[in-house]
Amino acid sequence: MFVFKNAWKSVVRNKGRNILIAIIVAIIAAAATIGLSIRQAADSARATGLENTSVTAQISVNREKLIAAAQSSSSSSTKPDFSAARTALTSKSLSLADYEKYAKASTVKTGTYYTETSSVSKTDSFQPVSTTDTTSSSSSSSSSSQGTTGESKGGMGGGGFEAEATQAGDFKLVGFSSDTAVKNAANGTFTMTSGKVFGYTSTSNNDVIISKSLADFNKVAVGDTISVTNPYDTSKTISLKIVGIYKNSTDTTTTNNGPQQSNSSDPSNAIYTSISTLKALGLDTSSEVTTTDSSGASTKSAAAQLSYTYVLGSKSAYTTFTKDVKKAGLSSDYTVSSSDVEEYESSLLPLNNLAKFALTLLLVVLAVGGVVLIVLSLFNVRERKYEVGVLTAMGVKKAKVATQFAIELLIVTMIGLGVGAVAGAVSSVPVSNQLLASQVSQQESQTSSQQSQFGRDANVGASGSTTTGNSSSTSGSGTGTTGKTTAAPTQGAGNPFSTRAVNYVSSINTTVSISMVGQLLLIGLGLTLISALVGVIFVMRYEPLQILADRS
Amino acid sequence: MNETQRVDEAAPSSSNNSPVNVNDNDNDNSENLDINNEVASRTASDTVTSATGPAILELADVSYSYKKGGKKVLHNLSHAFKPGVVYAITGPSGAGKTTLLSLISGLTSPTEGKVIYQGKDLGKQDRYDFRSHDIGVIFQSFNLLPALTVIENIVLSMDASGKKFEKPKKEIALELLEEVHLPDEYANERILHLSGGEQQRVAIARALSYDPKIIVADEPTGNLDLGTQRDIMDIFAKLAHDHNKCVIIVTHSPEVAQESDEVFQLAPLRRRKPTKTVRPVATRRR
Repeated sequence: MFVFKNAWKSVVRNKGRNILIAIIVAIIAAAATIGLSIRQAADSARATGLENTSVTAQISVNREKLIAAAQSSSSSSTKPDFSAARTALTSKSLSLADYEKYAKASTVKTGTYYTETSSVSKTDSFQPVSTTDTTSSSSSSSSSSQGTTGESKGGMGGGGFEAEATQAGDFKLVGFSSDTAVKNAANGTFTMTSGKVFGYTSTSNNDVIISKSLADFNKVAVGDTISVTNPYDTSKTISLKIVGIYKNSTDTTTTNNGPQQSNSSDPSNAIYTSISTLKALGLDTSSEVTTTDSSGASTKSAAAQLSYTYVLGSKSAYTTFTKDVKKAGLSSDYTVSSSDVEEYESSLLPLNNLAKFALTLLLVVLAVGGVVLIVLSLFNVRERKYEVGVLTAMGVKKAKVATQFAIELLIVTMIGLGVGAVAGAVSSVPVSNQLLASQVSQQESQTSSQQSQFGRDANVGASGSTTTGNSSSTSGSGTGTTGKTTAAPTQGAGNPFSTRAVNYVSSINTTVSISMVGQLLLIGLGLTLISALVGVIFVMRYEPLQILADRS
Repeated sequence: MNETQRVDEAAPSSSNNSPVNVNDNDNDNSENLDINNEVASRTASDTVTSATGPAILELADVSYSYKKGGKKVLHNLSHAFKPGVVYAITGPSGAGKTTLLSLISGLTSPTEGKVIYQGKDLGKQDRYDFRSHDIGVIFQSFNLLPALTVIENIVLSMDASGKKFEKPKKEIALELLEEVHLPDEYANERILHLSGGEQQRVAIARALSYDPKIIVADEPTGNLDLGTQRDIMDIFAKLAHDHNKCVIIVTHSPEVAQESDEVFQLAPLRRRKPTKTVRPVATRRR
């Protein structure tokens, strides 16, 4: 009680010095608050950003690993062992049943949808949109050359490697399992210009929707019936009823001007239908077709490639799902990936950078502040040597004097801390958003410099091989007519130069939470104790006898 | 060294002493501390009855050196201090007056021997508690806190003692100021604004504030004019005789020594054993 009373009186008495200390502490506290709130914002963004939005995930084979394994097993020849690598990849492909098994194995609620992509060939009455009248054989040669391109790139971009096919249709026939699948169509979102989307039951079999360009090219309208042929057996004619005409929201027709592109890789030549239709036509993944490659060997493969997507409620559900499928027996040859998560994480890049910067700032401020406080405390206690002498000579125990000094400092620092925390809390949103904006612009300028370096090649790439990410992923699903896709390519993701700009998190909503106040208090207490220690040591070393020597 | 033996050794050195039993406190180390003090017995017959009481503070064969094994500043000193008496400790410079003061006031412990307060060895007690409760020291340089007001200085000491007071501390402080003849309007003045004599009075008031049994003053009349000096000495005499305090004044002033009841003369250091001159108490006032 005596100690507290005395400490308080002493604080009031030495206003000037204490205000100075309080200001210093307030500055430290404000900087610390801003730093902490930025870190908290980054943490919460990381943890909760995808908490309430659904996340899609895909299981894909780890191609690099498989290819490396296959190639090393036949290391005797200098020539890459294509067939070994292909076999390895084919054997690792997951069937629809496998995908469904993993969906069931998951302990979190998992929605699924999938698309199967097959192809059909043109007839005289129904031709694909193209600049040249290419034949089936020319398109097949182009697709095989694309396959080689894909292979040399190590399966990058999830494109074209499955193009083992010797035959490719002129149209891409895409079967969707549900509306969600349609919504996430590989060619991007579309809008219906007329008619409606097909149903998914067998009653609406052979109902298709076609792109507006294709409809215009062939002068067909909703209600018309078109006929195409089975690419594996051109004698079989398939009649499809157009129930709707769609228009892609992103117009990608220009990318297909190259002579080597197959017609089916043109998004305009995509015919959308239900899985049920594909099944009925015998063009789904469970139907096997026999193909003959250029060397004459015939291989059996599925008639369609499968792209299976899991829809998860949140990012944490995604994490659980990843664990669950591993538990359910998914070997390490496969990886679970989510373009949503990856994209979100890349959008957090500036914020994470800022959080790192905030930590540095925090440490520097604390170090400098701590030193300043210690020095002030040292001067303070030296100045009050006489007071220590008087108090101890009067019989006040050293511990009490030391406690009084510590409490004085504590009172002052707590006031400073309070003021600083309020100031920091008020200014943390504008300050951190300002800092974040500079981080974002820095990030964007980095990205754009990358684009100007690599994106310039896009024109060359379009006429030549599949260089750009977008076209490779599109052609990947387009050319793999007969090859069974080993894994669903992740659309857009894994492509650093994606035309889709990442929306960086450019503003944060920082709030001062209880835990932060606690952290701040701990910091304040820590600093106070460290600087009070100086005073305590000084007081403890002072012998009251000295007061007799201090006669001045 | 045996305690009893030491006391016996000390006893003859203080001549003409009557037996005084210090054993009034039922504690363990108070065995047979009989001290002959004729001076005390003589004062007993005087007006101040309390002087007959046991010694409140006693030096028992005390030696002191600042460094361990170093030169001794005090040599085997023994003396008893009683309530109701004004003692003057005199001696030439370097005789160890200040050292003795620090021993009495509990600022330090003797290297040999004991300082006994109310029959208990001070070395075994908490000297901080002793300083804050039982002894009021008026330092030569007063050692008031300049940033505080007169009242604050006094109240600080009362707070530090941890004692409980019947009246509000401020009231007691104001009464004390009156007692030391300091006008009321000084109460809220900062120490810095006071003269030496006024500071002296505040220091006395502070030393008295928590009602200690012993008052120790170091050169209380050092730089004061004669009138003030006399006034201060009057206050001390009143404290001893009216309030039954044990007042110990360290001084080199013969006038002060003259005015005190008993003089404890410290011999210069060369002497192996300090002699103690007990002046017959003709100087007792009142």
